[in-house]
Amino acid sequence: MAETTTEMKNTLAGSNVLVLAACILAALMPCMAQEGAKPDPAGMATGDKTTVVDAGGNAFVVTEPTDKAAPDYAQKKKDFDEFQAQAAKEPLAVKLADATGHIRVATNFAWTLNTGYLVLFMQAGFALLTCGLVRKKNASHLMMLNFAAYVFAFIAYYAVGYAFQFGAVAINAAPSNLGGTPTLNHFLLGHGLWGFLGGKGFFMTGPAYDAGSNCLALFEVVFMETAGYIIVGAICERISFWSFLLCELFIGAILYPVFGCWVWGGGWMSQLGNTLGFGHGYVDFAGSTVVHAVGGFAAMALSVVLGPRLGKFGADGKPRAFPAHNIPFVVIGTFILLFGWMGFNPGSTLGATDLRISVIAINTNLSAVAASASALLFWYWKFGKPDITMACNGMLAGLVAITAPCAFVSPTSAFIIGILAGLVVCLGVLFNDNVTKIDDPCGAISVHGFCGVLGAICLGIFADGTYGAGWNGVGATSYMGQTGRGVTGLFYGDTKQFAVQVMGAVMCAAWAFGATFLVFKVVNAIKSMRVSKEVEHEGLDVPEFGLPGYPEDAIHATEF
Amino acid sequence: MKKIEAIIQPNKLDEVKEALISIGVEGVTLSEVRGHGRQKGHTETYRGAEYSVDLLPKIKIEIFAPDSRAEQIVGVLSTAARSGKIGDGKIFVSSIEEAVRIRNGERGEIAL
Repeated sequence: MAETTTEMKNTLAGSNVLVLAACILAALMPCMAQEGAKPDPAGMATGDKTTVVDAGGNAFVVTEPTDKAAPDYAQKKKDFDEFQAQAAKEPLAVKLADATGHIRVATNFAWTLNTGYLVLFMQAGFALLTCGLVRKKNASHLMMLNFAAYVFAFIAYYAVGYAFQFGAVAINAAPSNLGGTPTLNHFLLGHGLWGFLGGKGFFMTGPAYDAGSNCLALFEVVFMETAGYIIVGAICERISFWSFLLCELFIGAILYPVFGCWVWGGGWMSQLGNTLGFGHGYVDFAGSTVVHAVGGFAAMALSVVLGPRLGKFGADGKPRAFPAHNIPFVVIGTFILLFGWMGFNPGSTLGATDLRISVIAINTNLSAVAASASALLFWYWKFGKPDITMACNGMLAGLVAITAPCAFVSPTSAFIIGILAGLVVCLGVLFNDNVTKIDDPCGAISVHGFCGVLGAICLGIFADGTYGAGWNGVGATSYMGQTGRGVTGLFYGDTKQFAVQVMGAVMCAAWAFGATFLVFKVVNAIKSMRVSKEVEHEGLDVPEFGLPGYPEDAIHATEF
Repeated sequence: MKKIEAIIQPNKLDEVKEALISIGVEGVTLSEVRGHGRQKGHTETYRGAEYSVDLLPKIKIEIFAPDSRAEQIVGVLSTAARSGKIGDGKIFVSSIEEAVRIRNGERGEIAL
């Protein structure tokens, strides 16, 4: 009887969710139909002479100035007239420019899609890494979590996440390397420079059924997936499968897209340079915070809600070790992640015509090895033996920390950032184990949360101004009195950039931890998200999925 | 008839096997076991937290032999399995009442 009531409640809760979803959709319908530029699903109108630029980013086509009051109006008008006269004289050159513009966009499509595929492959790396780090009795559970994370977060992002994040990208942050996505131009919450939530492109229909938009969507959905699988590392070995699915839907639909809109979708944080004079606004090149810290702090909140694994902390509060069951998985997984990161960071230019990609690739690798070395040596010094799992965490920490600043710093700075990240991840793991007592089996909170914040702040310190002129619409002609000066950090004289980086990183941690904690504290109060004690002792594989990770092991010889 | 049970270090298995074959021992039964003796294992650190490795992997060898050969086998075993360090293991000898060859029902020492 009790069971039937629970079941009925579950069904009722399910139907309530459906009704709610229908209401939201009905409310969104009008803006889906809003007028705007036409989408280009075939890609036959994407990329023409207007997308031709030289190496310095100067456009081939000179546009007609509209603001007659501007001081340089006369000069601009003269340039425009000259261009018109030349174009009339050489129609063939204009035709050629149309073809060149198409090739430029096509090159960038190929780059963005292929780097996106590399990021997708990181899923495999993370599955191996986390599976290797847990006990044998939970191996198939871990694999199922990683698998389901990809599937369900993707569906949530497809339905609403992409629209929330990029539904207004054309307003403040159109990715011109992909021919722009002018059809995504409506904020659901806020407007102009104070956007809070995108509002076009739900279910990737209408304005989002566009070649440029879909290129962006492929690249961005795999980024969201990264935030989606990060939580696995902190909540594994005790979370029930149904509640994990809720977590993934929440991340894909709301948690990730909202912060993503604020920083990458043309939202308010990216525009703080224009609105309040904070440097180039909040800058996060490839997602130290937008992706990693969001995942890391959501993981932290979930781990707090769930509580530690049984026996993780002794009666005296001392942490106990549950050693990894497959070190080869851990190392192979880490190297797959490193390989995938070669898409994550350089790909975030959204174009191969941006030649900064080579610097980004080197910076990314340098930070990874510096962090591996510092984590490995720190452990060697502190405990007398280097720990391969901590060295792997160190490599990932370096990658996470360089993700925000990778485009804006020199290789030397990247190396220093890596060393810092390696130390932060080690101290973070010890801090969680010994001070906060938050159980994090794979170090996800330290790697992605703490080092994500570190990365955003390091951008505000080490950015040297060589790259990112005109970033977020700030300083297109000159910045800090210099033509072509880009995003600049504290060490190079821009204190306001440093301030906004610190603020933004704190904002990210507060949003990801706060929102996740609130939502899942409520969920957990309604129905416990943890498996029963018996199930946790036995291992989650068989009770949850009916299949152990290694079915031929009749006897589990080692029960740690 | 005697049963000789030896619990040895896994890394000594090859030497022990060769030594037994060299003196003509025909039947051997092996199992992978875990256990501890007086030292009760040792502790290790994983990601900064300690854990004890108290059940160490060992190999258990069982040999059934006629009374006349038992002493020789014990001698060979203990020489071959010895490294001189703690954890080398132990040998136990006990008497066996009966042996039966399942295939043809032979009994006694002839069935060994």
